[in-house]
Amino acid sequence: MRPVIAIAKATVGEAIRRRVLLIILFIAILLLAVAPLLGVLSARQEQTVLTGFVLGIVQLSSAVIAITLTVYMLPNEVERRTIYTILSKPVQRWQFLIGKYLGAVAALAIMMGLMAVVSVLEFGLFQQDWAKGISLLQAYGMFFIQMSLLASVAICLSTFVAPLVNFFLTGGIYLIGTLGYAFFDSFNKNPNAPVLGKGMAFIVSSILPNFASYNVQNPLINPETTIQNPTMYAVNAVLYGLFYIMIMLIIGMLMFDRKEV
Amino acid sequence: MAAAIETKQLTKTYKSKSRNLTVVDKLDLHVEEGEIFGFLGPNGAGKTTTIKMLLSIIEATSGEGYILGKELGDFDVHKLISYVPERPYYYEYMTGLEILKFYGSLFGISDVAHMQNLLERVGLADARNTNKTINQYSKGMQQRIGLAQALLNDPKLLFLDEPTAGLDPIAHREIRDLILSFRKEGRTVFISSHELSEVELICDRVAIINHGVIVAQGKLTDLLAGGRVEILVEKLDRGVFSDMKIGDGNIHDTPAGVLFDVPEGSDVNAIIDGARAKGGQVVSVVPRKKRLEDLFVEAVRNK
Repeated sequence: MRPVIAIAKATVGEAIRRRVLLIILFIAILLLAVAPLLGVLSARQEQTVLTGFVLGIVQLSSAVIAITLTVYMLPNEVERRTIYTILSKPVQRWQFLIGKYLGAVAALAIMMGLMAVVSVLEFGLFQQDWAKGISLLQAYGMFFIQMSLLASVAICLSTFVAPLVNFFLTGGIYLIGTLGYAFFDSFNKNPNAPVLGKGMAFIVSSILPNFASYNVQNPLINPETTIQNPTMYAVNAVLYGLFYIMIMLIIGMLMFDRKEV
Repeated sequence: MAAAIETKQLTKTYKSKSRNLTVVDKLDLHVEEGEIFGFLGPNGAGKTTTIKMLLSIIEATSGEGYILGKELGDFDVHKLISYVPERPYYYEYMTGLEILKFYGSLFGISDVAHMQNLLERVGLADARNTNKTINQYSKGMQQRIGLAQALLNDPKLLFLDEPTAGLDPIAHREIRDLILSFRKEGRTVFISSHELSEVELICDRVAIINHGVIVAQGKLTDLLAGGRVEILVEKLDRGVFSDMKIGDGNIHDTPAGVLFDVPEGSDVNAIIDGARAKGGQVVSVVPRKKRLEDLFVEAVRNK
């Protein structure tokens, strides 16, 4: 476990200094800061719009950070030959991969945490509604699982796909898993759907992770969604996320173990 | 003496749909414990691939290899070896001491005093207490950090890839002295390098690899045996010197005079006496020791 922690720590240290990530984070925080001004443009209730915008900004920028952070992580280590000095020490390849993943997730947690603090302050200071701001933390928790899942997909793909291809592939999987999952799932369950289409929908909804289930708290995306048992829902979503992350990391470890670096 | 590295018919072939590319072909290496071994070859000869196989970073396609008596791939070997890559890159935000703490943690080593001693040993005593990060280090300092991290686990065998490439003459000398001190401590050092003069100065034995095949291997003293002696003589007519008997040597008519190029061990006095007897004036007698560069060029070209 010691090498895993050491590699994770080093990954965090590097990630929080990566200029491109800091720029994305800066833009996200800037957008969060101006979000209250956007509320007046909408006829809908100001706080609903603001909530939707804030959650949207945090989710989108977290996704971009998660993908940018992870797709280049392993290729960079190979290109800079850092991996050779590390793997020549008593470090197994799986430990290296898990260390990198945990480091990426920890860096994501720091950056998302910063955005969460800004948004809570925003609701508390400008809207005078601390309770609302704090209630968003639940949504951020769900986003964090979502982004951890996304990072696991990216790191798994990075063991056998070039970084640029991985960037678009992971981005595509995220988009389909967020926007198209419900469609494919309902198509799959529709008894009147053609068999071939149903089969395709079954494959897509079975293989791709369901990112949509982590977005339920956004009133702009899901205005009429009500959750009967929020605790049970959250537990299921977390367990689903952890299971999927585990699968992704196992595939990644198997691929990375055979990879010629 | 026991072998620190032993390979038998070690081969690495990269397979693709269109063709198979054999990068290292039936490599037989023998490196004895406690020696400094030079592994030479032109770019793309298979040096780095060989090192990666020896470090078990990649798997050999066929053949076998042993590091310190243990089979390649034996995880425990990693506790006894170290590696410094060519142009090493370390996490740039870390200081010298933090780099050592990071690599130390991979071994479970957390003794800061030991790390500080290592920094001092590699000539980075000033780096012990400063906040200077690695991206502010010169190339030479980064190379020293590389050596310091390589010494953390007190290794029996060190793999150094181009350890003096791109360094100034002073850093060159200091790194060379450090490598020589490793031998005194009984460590085995495996150096992959292009710096032939450097290798010639410090290595006990060398192997030259070209297109994945070993083209020469042995003790430097044996490989470099067979030097020549050049005798330059003035005022000697073509008609006279062309009749002279000089064994296996060559005679060249040069603008500076007649040059007798004879193998080391030839009867030089007889040639000098003969040239003098025919009215020649001996200008110089220069023994030409065979250099590693000559051996390298010869071995690579012949292949």
